[in-house]
Formats: sequence, structure tokens, C-alpha cells
Amino acid sequence: MTTMTTTSAAVTLHGVSRVFGRGPAAVRAVDDVTLDFPRGGWTAVMGPSGSGKSTLLHCAAGLERVDTGRVLLGDTDLTAAGDADLTALRRTRIGFVFQSFNLIGALTAEQNVALPLRLAGKRPSRSVVRATLDAVGLADRARHKPRELSGGQQQRVAIARAMVTRPEVLFADEPTGALDSTAARTVLDLMRAMADAGQSIVMVTHDPGAAARADAVVFLRDGRVVDRLIGADAREVADRLAAWER
Amino acid sequence: MLGMSRAGLAERWTLFVGALLSVTLGVALVQSSLLLLISAATLDGASADEAAVPMLGIVLGGAVFLAGFVISSTFAFTVDQRRRDLALLRLVGGSRRQVRRLLLGEALLLGLGGAALGVPAGLGVMAVQTWLMRRFAFVPAGFTGEWRMWILGVSVGTGVVLAVAGVLVAARRAAGVRPLEALRESGPAARVMTAGRWVAGLFFFGGALALVIVAPHGGPAGGQAMAMNVAMPAAVAVVAFGPLLVPLLARLMPFGGGVLGSLARAAVRDARRRSASVAAPLIVLVALVIGNTGAGASFTASGIDEVARSTHADFVVEGRVPAGSVPGVSTVSVETSLPAQVTVGSGEDQETTDVTALVIDPSAYAAVHGTPVDLRGRAVARGPGGEVPSSGPVRVRVAGADLGELPVVAAVPEMLSGGASLLLPTGLVPATGPTTSFVTLAPGADASSVGSRLTSIGPVSTIGDWLRADAELRNSTNDKVLLVVLGLGGLYALIGVVNSIVIGAATRRREFAEARVTGLTRGQVVRAALLEAYAVTGAALLLGLLAASAAFVAVLSTTSAVTGVATLDLPWPLFAAVAALILTVTGLTSLITSWSATRHPPVTLLAARE
Repeated sequence: MTTMTTTSAAVTLHGVSRVFGRGPAAVRAVDDVTLDFPRGGWTAVMGPSGSGKSTLLHCAAGLERVDTGRVLLGDTDLTAAGDADLTALRRTRIGFVFQSFNLIGALTAEQNVALPLRLAGKRPSRSVVRATLDAVGLADRARHKPRELSGGQQQRVAIARAMVTRPEVLFADEPTGALDSTAARTVLDLMRAMADAGQSIVMVTHDPGAAARADAVVFLRDGRVVDRLIGADAREVADRLAAWER
Repeated sequence: MLGMSRAGLAERWTLFVGALLSVTLGVALVQSSLLLLISAATLDGASADEAAVPMLGIVLGGAVFLAGFVISSTFAFTVDQRRRDLALLRLVGGSRRQVRRLLLGEALLLGLGGAALGVPAGLGVMAVQTWLMRRFAFVPAGFTGEWRMWILGVSVGTGVVLAVAGVLVAARRAAGVRPLEALRESGPAARVMTAGRWVAGLFFFGGALALVIVAPHGGPAGGQAMAMNVAMPAAVAVVAFGPLLVPLLARLMPFGGGVLGSLARAAVRDARRRSASVAAPLIVLVALVIGNTGAGASFTASGIDEVARSTHADFVVEGRVPAGSVPGVSTVSVETSLPAQVTVGSGEDQETTDVTALVIDPSAYAAVHGTPVDLRGRAVARGPGGEVPSSGPVRVRVAGADLGELPVVAAVPEMLSGGASLLLPTGLVPATGPTTSFVTLAPGADASSVGSRLTSIGPVSTIGDWLRADAELRNSTNDKVLLVVLGLGGLYALIGVVNSIVIGAATRRREFAEARVTGLTRGQVVRAALLEAYAVTGAALLLGLLAASAAFVAVLSTTSAVTGVATLDLPWPLFAAVAALILTVTGLTSLITSWSATRHPPVTLLAARE
């Protein structure tokens, strides 16, 4: 691994392992993974259920501590960062989108989007928040609470919330997992546009259709990287996944 | 952050109504008890029952304890139920400090809100307490609790301090919540016994143990006071170990066979912290009510027994029976009770106590009460009521007359049943006051003829009747004291119980919905929740009884040390009534909350996910 790759990658995993449990019941969810997620690219992580893809994402985002190895966000070593540093990173350099939206039900769409900025001690201007909501096509739903929005709309609010801080990397864990196909397509179109504009995205998915929208697909099995596809279509991704699920 | 606190309060109102109610009633109870205590203490000394002020002191102490306990356990429970929300906040960039500040901000709002509602509610509580005190003649008929302006500051302070202090530990714990927990459906297997719980549990266990050990050496008054105070720390210790003890005992409850029984048993085992949180106010309620009524009744019974054993007479006459005036009488102990003031020490150390003095004939008193008293000249003795040094000079004023310095030369054993503190020989003061004569028959004398002759002097009772009347009076006084001390506090704790069940059910809608889509009917879900509630209630009853038993141990050793006979006289019918009331309240609350939590079709709950 050269200095070159470290700085050009948005996120670098170097010899990362994560074990859950002890003794004979121990599970190596991530097993000695070395991997770059390129800057300005959209990478999908796929694998059979239980292959460790979510754990890999959590480790890459600094949400889960690693047992061995190093995780770098740009040049910042996440494995050495304390809780306060990680909190600051979540406010400024990392964005999250999850399957279950995870919006705060008490707050309106607008307030949810403004939340990361307010937590960072900034007074977000209404125009910035509205512009971010506008970018996900929801400018007219700013005053609605999550329960008044459809699943697809809630996920777009979650994306707006993740993007409002202009993060270096957007981590997405099954972002279309809870959506119908139309809503999923809207969300994927949005993410594609973001990636085309230079946003680094790391996404875990089990949907070959979603993975095919990414620039590259990484396959995981038993906690190890086993395969990689670049610029594949949905059929190729599905065939490859089926092969690894066998 | 305050804005978020406000939004949080508005959204999770079901959780917060419970928390607000606990603060409101806590403030009301503390305010009322404090105002009454001050009103009674500043009342003209002679017109209030001497028991009123210490009793109100106990009421106030109990109110502060209960308010602190109920508020902090309710707050901790609401925070516990919101771990996922808090983790979400951490996920989008909230720092630990911000989580803490959010929770403290909420507590501040709830404290202020609780105080605002608690001040007027306190006036209502005071009306009830005053009525009770007047009805039982602890205070004169015209007594009223006086409003004082400064109480506003005290009540607002009480609300805010109790609410903020109550949430401190929970907030610290919640600030440690990991962002990843927001992504999990159910929280991780959070450690059930935290270091704080161990420390608190062992600390209060040690406190209860110390009281149990020291009580028998505290004399009649001190020993009783200590034994009556064992239940509180014992209950807190049991509550601290609740996450270990409650599920353990709850699993032993008879669930009945079948799928609902096994579901309920699994739920108890799985949700250890919830079970413990629901059981906590129940344990305190049971321990306080059963522990204190049991201890009070035992001490009363022991005192009655003691009087019976130490009174050797055949008749008791309300009046003066002159010696030798009635044929067939062998000994008469004429005892006249007078209010007295005893001053001990001099200069800055000088201390004056209001006591009851008894004017006696030493040899007759010795014969009737079976304890030698040798008094000559101006010498006096300490009576069974204690409160006076057992030797040395004391300054005595009786009925306004200064008797000067008198030497205390003897002391009769202190008695659990109390009595006069000072024994004066006849001749020292004019014996004008309520007088009782204890009459012993001469051998071979005819009891009925002596009895009828005595009636010309005053009302006569046989010793058996007199002891029964004395016992009834003591029992009824004990009952009244306990009702005043425990009545409203117990009611408050019971509301705390309802609160915890409602909070426990508020966050279970999804769990219930999952059970229903698995194939359970709404009725089955409600029945399984009821079984679970009964298992937790049963465990709490047993654990409350365990804490109360610590008080009973202290009662046994204290009565044995003071009277020579270990006495435990438990009011079982009352215990049964308390258990029935608690089972009814928890059963009904569980039914209503789980019925309400299942009122929407399960699909709408499982589909809508924030």
C-alpha cells in the first residue's frame, strides 16, 4: 500500500478484523479485510446474508470498533479516534443513510435536516436547509413530520440530512431495503446524481439492481472480500452473487 | 438543546405524563408536610398533642424519600425506554454532552412544570392531611396549615432539584449509549447490574444491617425508632439488586401451562430491566407499608404485654383510694400524674425537657409494679418513660412551682410502653392532677364486695378490663399514627406503581403487534401481558416482604432486649388487603394499557417505522 492510494481513497481499510463473541461461539464477522473505497466513486458491497457486509460498513464508518487493523477516512485514522473525535467526524465528514430511515419523529423534515448542523453548534440558514431538501425533491414537504411522509420520501429526507453537512463520504446501509420499486428508483437516481457530482458513496445492499447503479461492486463472503466487479449490469451482479451464495 | 427538549416532551407525552405526575405529587406531598410541620411546631405548645411534631417530621422525611425515589426511578425508566432515540441523536453527530444536556433540559422543564402543578396540588394534599390530623386529635380542632410565601421557592426548588438529581445517573448512563444501537431493533443485552447498582445496593444493605444490629442497644425509644427505619434502606437495597432478583423470583411464579404462560415467562426473562423498573416502586410500597405496620403493631403488642406482666393489682380506680379506707385491700399505689419541666446542666449546655411526673408512694409503687424504688427526702427517681438522667441533680418545675435542684437517686427500667419520666415521692408537691389507684386485694378478701365499695371513690375496673382498655387505646393510637404517616405516602407510591406499568407498556406497541401477526389474538396478547404483570407483581410482593422482614428482625431483637420477650405481632388481614389492592391495581393497569396499546391493527404499527 503506497501513500498514493491512501490519499486518493475516501476510505481505506487495512487488515481489518472484527470478531463477535468468544471461544467456540466466536464469529469473525470481518476477517482481515484490506480495501479502498475510491474518492468520488460509488461502491456497493454485496454478499450473502451473514457475510459481514453491514459490520464492514459500520467499521468503515467508525461506528464499530475493530479488533485488528486500521481504518482511514482520508488521512484520519478512525481506529485511533476517541468518542469526541468520532462525534465531530459524524458532524462534518461522514453522512449516514439506513434502511429504516431513522428520522426523529418529533421533528419536521426541515428540522431533521437541520439537526446535524445544530448539533455542531451552527445556526443553519433556512435557505441552506430548503436547498438541501429541494435537491432531494422535497422542498414542498419541509413542514411535514416523518409519519406524514411516504417511505420513499422519508428516505430522501434522511439523505438530505446526511448531505446537509457536505460529508466526504456517504455511508448507506440497504437504503432501498424498505422501499417499493418506484421509490427505490427515485432514491437510486438521486444517489447516482450525487456520485456523478463527485460524492463518495459506500453502500451495502442485497439488491443486484441497486448494486448495478454503483461504479463498482465488492463481494463479501464469511467476512472476506472474494470478488469485485466494475461497471457491471444488474444481470451480471445477480449471477455473480448467486455464484457466491451457492 | 432546550428546543429539542421541548419537541421531545411534546412527542413522547405518554412517557412524560408519568414523569410529570411523579414530580407534581412529590412536590405536593413535600410542600404540605413541611407547611404542616412548621404550623404545628409554632403552635402554642400546650394545645398540640406532643406526638404531632415528631410525627410530622417522620411524614416529611418519608415524603422526601418517596418523592426522591419515585421521581428518580420514573425518570430512569423513561430514559431507558428512549435509548434508541438517543442513539439516533448520537448517530447524526450528537455528542455525549449534548445527550446529557438534552436529558437534563427535559428534567428541568419537568421539574418546573411539576412544581407549578405541585404547589396548588399541595394545598389539596394539605387539606387532607390537616383533616386526618384533626380527626385523630393530634392537633386541636382549629388547627390549619398556614401558607408561607417562601414555600413557593422551596417547592420550585424541590421539583427542580428532585427532577434534575433524579435524572443525573440515568443521563450519565444514556450518554454512554453507542450510535449503533439506533440501528438495532432491540437494544443490546445491556448489562443488567451496573457498578452503580452494586454500590448503591451494598451501601443501603449495610445501612439496613447496621440499624438491625444497633436497634436492640438503642433503648426503648431509640430501638423503636431504628427498627421502624429499617424497611426504607432495606427496600432501596432490594430495588438496587432488582434486575437480578425480580426476574429470578418472577420466573418461579405459577404462570399456568400453555403458550401464553411460556410467552409471559420468556418476556420476564428477556426484559430484566423493565421488570425491575416496574417492580421498584412496588417493592418500596410493600416494604414501607408492611414493614412499618408490622413493626408498629409488634411494638404496641409488646408494650401491652409488658404492662400486663409488670402490673400486679386486682382493681384500677380512677381517683385517690386512701390507704386503709377500704377493708379487704392489702396495698394501694396512688399515682398522680403532673406536667413537669426538667432542666439538666447549666450555662450553654442547659437543656429543658417537658415531661410527665408521677407522684407515688415508693413502697406501694414497688409492690404493684414489681420494681424497687427507694426514695427518701427530696430524692427522685427516673420513671419508665426515660428522658431524664438516671443519676445526678436535675432542676424540676412542677405545675408552675420551682422545686429547685433534686437528686435523681434511682431509675426504674425503661419500658417500651413508656410512662412517666420522673417519679416524685409524696409530700414534695401537692398531688393535684389525674390520679389512678392500683389496688391489691388482701388474701381471702371478697373481690366483688371490695369492688363495689371502691365504686364510691371513682370509676373501678378489674385489672383485666383496664389492660384491655389500655391495649385498645394504644392500638388505636398506633393505627392513627400509621395512617397519617403512611396513608398519603402509600397512595403516592401506588401512583408510582401505576406510572411504571404505563411507561413499561407505552413502548411495547411494536412487540405486541409482532405477537399478533405471529398469530396471537388481541385477547391473548392482553392475557400474556397480564400474566407477566402478575409474575412481576408477585416477585415484588415477595421482595417487599423480604425488605420488611429486616425490620421484623430488628423488632424481635429490640423487644427482646427491652422487655425480655421477643414479640412479633403481624396484622395479617392488613397484609392480605394490601396484597389484594396491589394485585387489583397492577392487574387493571396492565389490562387497560395493553388493551390500549393493541387498539390499532398490528399491520399499521409494523409498516410505519420512523
